[in-house]
Amino acid sequence: MIEQIRDKARELLESKQISCFIGYERGTRGKTHPAFIYNPQEVGRLVWDESCTHNLTVYLHQFKNPVKRGEPPPRVGILLKPCDTRSLNVLFHEKQIDRARVYVVGLACEGVKGNGRLAGRCQRCSERLPLVYDLLLGEKPEPTGREDYAEVADLEAMSPKERLAFWAREFERCIRCYACRQACPACYCFECVAEQLDPPWMGIAIDLSQKQFFHVMRAYHLAGRCAGCNACEEACPMEIPLSLLNRKIAKELEALFGYKVGQDAITPPPLATFKKEEEVPL
Amino acid sequence: MAQNPYRPALGTLVGVKDLATDIKLFQVALDNRQEGRGGFQPQPSYRPGQFAFVSAFGVGEAPFCLTSTTRRSQALEFAVNKIGTVTEALHRLGEGDVVGVRGPFGNWFPMEEMRGKHIILLGGGIGGAPLRPVIHTILDDRANYGKLTILWAARLPSLLIFREEFDSWRAAPDTELHLTVDQGDETWKGNVGLITELLEKVAPSPEEAVTITCGPPIMIKFVMLTLAKLGFAPEQMIMTLEAKMKCGMGKCGRCNLGEKYVCTDGPVFSYAEVRSFLESY
Amino acid sequence: MKAMSRDRLLAWLEELAGRSTLIGPRIVGEKILYKPVHHSAEIVLDFAKTDLSAKEYFLPSTEAILSVKREKKGFDVEEPSLHGRQIIFGLRPCDARALRVLDALFLNKEPADPYYAERREKTTLIGLACREMGDECFCTSLGLAPDEANDVDLMLTEMAGEYAIRAVTAKGKALLGAAVLQEVEGVPPNPFVRQKQVPILEVGKWPERFDSPFWAHLSDRCLSCRLCTYVCPTCRCFDIRDVELSDKEIERLRAWDSCMAEGYRRIAGGHNPRPAKAERLRNRFYCKFCYYPQDFGPVACVGCGRCIAQCPVNVDAVEVLEGLSAL
Repeated sequence: MIEQIRDKARELLESKQISCFIGYERGTRGKTHPAFIYNPQEVGRLVWDESCTHNLTVYLHQFKNPVKRGEPPPRVGILLKPCDTRSLNVLFHEKQIDRARVYVVGLACEGVKGNGRLAGRCQRCSERLPLVYDLLLGEKPEPTGREDYAEVADLEAMSPKERLAFWAREFERCIRCYACRQACPACYCFECVAEQLDPPWMGIAIDLSQKQFFHVMRAYHLAGRCAGCNACEEACPMEIPLSLLNRKIAKELEALFGYKVGQDAITPPPLATFKKEEEVPL
Repeated sequence: MAQNPYRPALGTLVGVKDLATDIKLFQVALDNRQEGRGGFQPQPSYRPGQFAFVSAFGVGEAPFCLTSTTRRSQALEFAVNKIGTVTEALHRLGEGDVVGVRGPFGNWFPMEEMRGKHIILLGGGIGGAPLRPVIHTILDDRANYGKLTILWAARLPSLLIFREEFDSWRAAPDTELHLTVDQGDETWKGNVGLITELLEKVAPSPEEAVTITCGPPIMIKFVMLTLAKLGFAPEQMIMTLEAKMKCGMGKCGRCNLGEKYVCTDGPVFSYAEVRSFLESY
Repeated sequence: MKAMSRDRLLAWLEELAGRSTLIGPRIVGEKILYKPVHHSAEIVLDFAKTDLSAKEYFLPSTEAILSVKREKKGFDVEEPSLHGRQIIFGLRPCDARALRVLDALFLNKEPADPYYAERREKTTLIGLACREMGDECFCTSLGLAPDEANDVDLMLTEMAGEYAIRAVTAKGKALLGAAVLQEVEGVPPNPFVRQKQVPILEVGKWPERFDSPFWAHLSDRCLSCRLCTYVCPTCRCFDIRDVELSDKEIERLRAWDSCMAEGYRRIAGGHNPRPAKAERLRNRFYCKFCYYPQDFGPVACVGCGRCIAQCPVNVDAVEVLEGLSAL
């Protein structure tokens, strides 16, 4: 598959259909990291294997503006896994990214691994194929057949008091580095409410109450928008199980509205829509 | 704690005057009872070019240049432009209210080296504030300085600061005041145009001259280019730079331009220095 | 060499915890962090390096530097009450050297920072030599050693199941006091295994590399978060802001801030001298290896490698230094 990826990237760059191809490359110490290929001769840097965990959609935000005034924004090619394409659909729907300015090489995906283990989202993946693509590579893998929200069961079994204690213990470790927010494709506000000082919603203190406020607020801002790519949890230096918050909210939304995030770029998310049937008499 | 440099002295606002749209002059009388516990010393001594932090307690501190001279004013004077959270809080205060003051910080204009020379001052908008104490120092010691040419600019006539002093500046011996605005209004009869255009019109000679420029970064940049065109050497171009600051002592790390800190190595720099900076301001 | 057995050491530490604040390596969630410990069972002795440095015990992530009370006729400004003594156990030589790096700015550059100075003066450091260098470690390239004892008060070295203990300063000697020690034979393990020589350019060689496209390419994948600066033992940028606790009580807080944040240098009018993340990433490296040594003396990096281990997109300081050297 890697040769097909490289061939396509080379072709797109040589024909100047794109100015940059975003993929993965070998890094240091056995790691893989995001790659930005501008020169068609360098497509050999691109790799694809189970260590390619990053959601590259987040980098599309840095190509939104024209390089030179008067020109259109650059067109880029990007390599996406099925979960990544869910977040791309969210960005298309929110009109953050123009469909015409992205060439998506979508990959059928058997799953990615972290610390030798198949990632949680891969164990219960229901898509298995990208939801939007210009070129599809790979054969559709077997369905996982796993129940969707099993991982929040432990959380749900806790009483509210236990849950509060659980999250207090987890967020105590948080250092408010915002790696979670920066890795998230859906967090693209110019000025995050966590850093606003007028008024100082969360101030500058790195203490438990502000940290809890930040994470819960961010999870709510992502309700109906979080694609479950897990970039936040993978970026966190303190290994806080952030995805549990987002998954719990996603479970509630699916139960209430039958809505799954990022299936297409058209269906409006439930929290941004109002249907006549929902009207409640005052 | 002995002499805590983070601790402000307390001062009372003895005057709050409108200078221009959204710009006020704050006159602060220091409370001597807090003597020796941080902030200014009881008899404040500071020089033109230096700055101090003014606290709006409950919001925070921000750096402001000292726009007064010890000779002319017992109170410390600051020109405050309402533009952020601290300045908005300060603008809500009135006479009798208490603020914190911490300083003085930074270096100062080389007034001694400027003696006997032709001084050209270029102030844009609120940038005129650090130049006012230079004007006062020269006017109060007139014989020791050469010709004084002041170019004063603002986006609009209502944004020109220290208007009530213009007549006294013009009236001083061997002193010229040239005004310009980017956009005039019905009552404006003076120059309309950028300060760089005015500078080219006035065309001062670089012979035995020193220039000091203060204003928005973009203005400083273009004034430097125009001064160069007029034959001024980089050492003759002095400027005062602004940066976001929190401590004033080079500790919080924020205001560096390369290895120089605007709070300790500046805010007064010559273009000869700034030109060699790796980073742009 | 004088030594304590493992059990004796843990018992002695628990005794210290009883009479002072003892901070040591403990397991928190899935991480190992320097935290207050009360019982020997909480102390981890077998670890490579903590996931965060010990800098928060000298430059806390958040601290109140002033207490202000709103009064009828103005304000009453108070300074926080003084802290008690603290002992940090298990400090790796890199983290101890990092304190000397911070001292160059917070103590030796006038005016001294009274909050840092007080904590520094009231802390006793018990170092723990590394058994071996980690994969991401490069302290030796910065003139440091994994068994360096000069930056702590007491130095412990693991030897054949015992902990050889040596008082380095009078403070350390006083802490050791009358603790019972036994003689132990043998040689400590060689910690220089996996030593990697990383080229550290001297200050004068950095300016010519400032405008290189190297920085834009490196920063493409940078997320512009704050992770590297917060896990780093020598990064020290901070913010100061007031918070209103009630209509009568105000606290002036100092908290960690990061030069990597997009709005770090933005002034109220909107002007931002470092709008691009390439400029901020470049500034971070220049600050550590070019500006800090010029301004304060030491290079502001001790080769602990935490930024390398934790960066979510594999921005690798060693790779950067090697790449710069090759330019």
